[in-house]
Amino acid sequence: MTQFLIRRTFWALFLFIAASMVTYILFFIIPSDPAALSAGKASTPAIVNHIRMELGLNLPIYQQYWDFVWNIVRHGNFGRSFVNGTPVRTFLEHEIPVTASIVFGGVIVYLAIAIPTGIISALRPRSIMDRLGMVFVLIGISAPSVWVGIMLLYLVGFRLGWTPINGYCSLQSSHQLGTCGGFWPWMSHLILPWITLAVGSAALYTRLIRANVMETMSEDYVRTARAKGASPQRVLVQHVLRNSMLQVVTILGMDLGLLLGGVVFIEIVFSLPGLGQQILLAYGRFDLPVIVGITMFACLAVIVFNFLVDVLYAWLDPRIRLS
Amino acid sequence: MSELLVVEDLQKYFPVTRGLVFQKAIAQVKAVDGVSFTVEAGQTLGVVGESGCGKSTMARCIARLLEPTGGKIIFDGRDITHLGNQDMRMIRREMMMVFQDPYASLNARKRVGAIIAEPLEVHDIGSAADRKRRVQELLEIVGLNPEHYNRFPHEFSGGQRQRIGIARALSINPKLIICDEPVSALDVSVQAQILNLLKDLQRDFDLTYVFIAHDLNVVRHVSDRVMVMYLGRPVETGSSKELYAAPKHPYSGALLSAVPIADPKLGRAREQIVLEGDVPSPINPPAACRFHPRCPRFVDGKCNVDEPVMTRAPGASDHEYACHFPLEHWPMGEGELRRAGAVAQEPAPAASFD
Amino acid sequence: MALLEVQDLHTRFRTEDGMVKAVSGVSFELDRGETLGVVGESGSGKSVTFLTVMGLVDPRQAEMAGSVRFDDKEILGLTTHGLKGIRGKRIGMIFQDPMTSLNPVKRIGWQLEEAVLIHNDVPRKEARRRALEVLEEVEIPKADTRMDDYAHQFSGGMRQRVMIAMALINQPELLIADEPTTALDVTTQAQILRLIGKLQKDHGMAVVMITHDLGVVAELANDVIVMYGGRIVEDAKVDDLFEKPEMPYTWGLLGSLPRVDVDVERLEQIPGQPPSLLRPPPGCAFNPRCAYVFDRCRTELPELRAAEGKDDHHFRCHLDGADRARIWTQKAAAIARGESAA
Repeated sequence: MTQFLIRRTFWALFLFIAASMVTYILFFIIPSDPAALSAGKASTPAIVNHIRMELGLNLPIYQQYWDFVWNIVRHGNFGRSFVNGTPVRTFLEHEIPVTASIVFGGVIVYLAIAIPTGIISALRPRSIMDRLGMVFVLIGISAPSVWVGIMLLYLVGFRLGWTPINGYCSLQSSHQLGTCGGFWPWMSHLILPWITLAVGSAALYTRLIRANVMETMSEDYVRTARAKGASPQRVLVQHVLRNSMLQVVTILGMDLGLLLGGVVFIEIVFSLPGLGQQILLAYGRFDLPVIVGITMFACLAVIVFNFLVDVLYAWLDPRIRLS
Repeated sequence: MSELLVVEDLQKYFPVTRGLVFQKAIAQVKAVDGVSFTVEAGQTLGVVGESGCGKSTMARCIARLLEPTGGKIIFDGRDITHLGNQDMRMIRREMMMVFQDPYASLNARKRVGAIIAEPLEVHDIGSAADRKRRVQELLEIVGLNPEHYNRFPHEFSGGQRQRIGIARALSINPKLIICDEPVSALDVSVQAQILNLLKDLQRDFDLTYVFIAHDLNVVRHVSDRVMVMYLGRPVETGSSKELYAAPKHPYSGALLSAVPIADPKLGRAREQIVLEGDVPSPINPPAACRFHPRCPRFVDGKCNVDEPVMTRAPGASDHEYACHFPLEHWPMGEGELRRAGAVAQEPAPAASFD
Repeated sequence: MALLEVQDLHTRFRTEDGMVKAVSGVSFELDRGETLGVVGESGSGKSVTFLTVMGLVDPRQAEMAGSVRFDDKEILGLTTHGLKGIRGKRIGMIFQDPMTSLNPVKRIGWQLEEAVLIHNDVPRKEARRRALEVLEEVEIPKADTRMDDYAHQFSGGMRQRVMIAMALINQPELLIADEPTTALDVTTQAQILRLIGKLQKDHGMAVVMITHDLGVVAELANDVIVMYGGRIVEDAKVDDLFEKPEMPYTWGLLGSLPRVDVDVERLEQIPGQPPSLLRPPPGCAFNPRCAYVFDRCRTELPELRAAEGKDDHHFRCHLDGADRARIWTQKAAAIARGESAA
């Protein structure tokens, strides 16, 4: 198992370096002049040149890349935005919690829906519950999250007035004017985004869990457990769930990684200042440092979560753990 | 009679690797470790053994589906051990394989006619019309309805699918067919059909078979000669009549004894030899005689020190075995087997005094 | 009174294509301590019969009818709750493939303890002690360390021993073994069969041995039933069955066996393949493949009737006694001479 872990760690590290390299180099392939962008519209060639030197753009690529990496690793410095000079790091510090709140909260909501629904559907195939569940799944997969988000916003937020319709409140109570904070404000701003996220994903996970549970139920060792006289509850909990959840965990991990890169639609519909919204803005303005910073974070999230999933899987399955 | 297939000291090792980044071999799985035999044209060699004995690996080496690690394979007088792909193409027209699982060895997405015609296509034999005619001919030869060449494999039963596999093997008129457990996955009543079919085809088309199976009854029925394998090596080879009537190696005896007899009175009358322990792994085979840890005739100091070599049985010209204490007669019960081993024990050496 | 009495058992599966009649009217009895061999090929209904007996068939997918009496108590149709104390305690069952029949992510010791704890209100320590005891009984070396291993760390033969241990841990009166050695090597098979025989003697259990291998049945069984197309087509004491089988399918089975002790030039083959249980042939299920078929066979299902002079030997065939005797005598002689019995 330790061998496995060491190998996976090296691999994760290697992947991250490769991803960062590719990201960085891509921006050199895109035809643009960061210096000119940074300088703004009303600038002279002299200013542009000056900025070019300041940004180190006249250095060879590998030198720039190395400086870039060194800055991150040593100083935690991701550069500054071309648009307003704010350190990219500030953006990250403010936006990661927002996106994380959306994603983790949403995941908990949709798992809370998908797991019971999936299991019940699997236990009673072709029953009314199952068929209703599958209809719900179909709707969930088909409905675009933008539409769901806007509908919820309109119906629940605007018409019924049950929740605020935009903005984000941090978890900590705030004492500054113009910002909000505290647990309930935080939650009330996020409930609709969570539901929106959940609708699409719950559907997928319900289907996945249903399929996995049904497959596990037909395994020989489940039959053996029944032959031993185990009650249906015991069979379900002790034998079926543990084995059928393995695959769900894997996919969940991958999803988490991807989602943390920015749940763009949701952030835009609900005006939540997260990574997705930010990177969209940055694309529009060709704000390279911001783009690169957020992309790197997204890569990191994916790699880390995949790594965690691998480790968890290996730990849960003794066939891998003991090899 | 010419020798169609000669195998000399065939070896196939699979490396067991370890390592973080660079995988290096720390051990070898010696799946096939020194197998030699000959097969005369028109005859059937049965290869029998349990899991881990290497018989399937050996079959794949002969068909060059795997690269041998060592040894020689001489087919029809030609050394094919390390022939390149181009040259092997010609050889492959003469050597075909039939596999165990009739459900997995046929491409479920292809029609049966296409499956049977594939070898013809690969070797560019005949026109499309010729091939179709040949496919229908083959379907009839193996006992299927020639009209069914447009059906898919899942529309046939297990036994029928195995017939399709055989038709495919026959399509290009090979000289040698290697059958790797062709009836193991079939029902008993269907097994007999396929075994009879294989025998008929051998007679009608002058085929040579290497027939691999774990079922001793089946092997006896189709084979002229039988080779018993254990952990990558042959332990006994001989004509099927002789080997089954009077096995010389204790493992052959144990194998024969383990087969349940479909006759309750005979079954009760005999004393079965039941070996202890499991078939060991080919990664670390026991020293000297590989069978010694489980052998009822084991003699300490001899069997675990000196490796037995293949010896000719007295009288019989082609019955060979590799054992220091071969069975004197057959049948022999377990008790008698053990006693013979004890008798052969050398007296303990005199104690030495310092 | 018999330990297990099955009367007119029917099991039909509801599928998209229609009703699959897996078991159609099976009746037999099993006394305490006896071994019943159940022989059949794929589609014969041999496994489904005993899955039904154990209540392991899902009533949502299948219709079951008839009577199954265990120790004079009706158990057909009972739920897991109703079968408490019987399934896993008084009746144990082992299956064909020990690799897939053991939970891959739970330790063997845990699975054995579970078998005890389901039925006995004892502390875990006691369950563990029992587990150790039974592992030693099935001859697993170093049982105390191996208890903490997982299924994949055992060889095929060892896994099957673990399965047997799990079925025996509560001292059942009946052990149902569904093709327990089919997936094993021949020498391992001999070990397992010998073990089952020994355990049976030690515990006085009744055993049902389901198999397609007539040799296994010849070695272990007292009584044999032969199943075909969801029905019993012959039942007899084991010596009788092999000495004088009374119907063409059994003749075919015996004649088509390649033998180790006799050289047969050409095996008798039964043409065709086992029947569809979705649309079984009318009349006798064996009629499309039978060499002795005549008109009546195609329309009328033969009843199970006693052989002449032997009321413990039954068979299903329309042929009359004289014909059957003659045909079998010829076949038996041919087999003895090493010729084809066809």
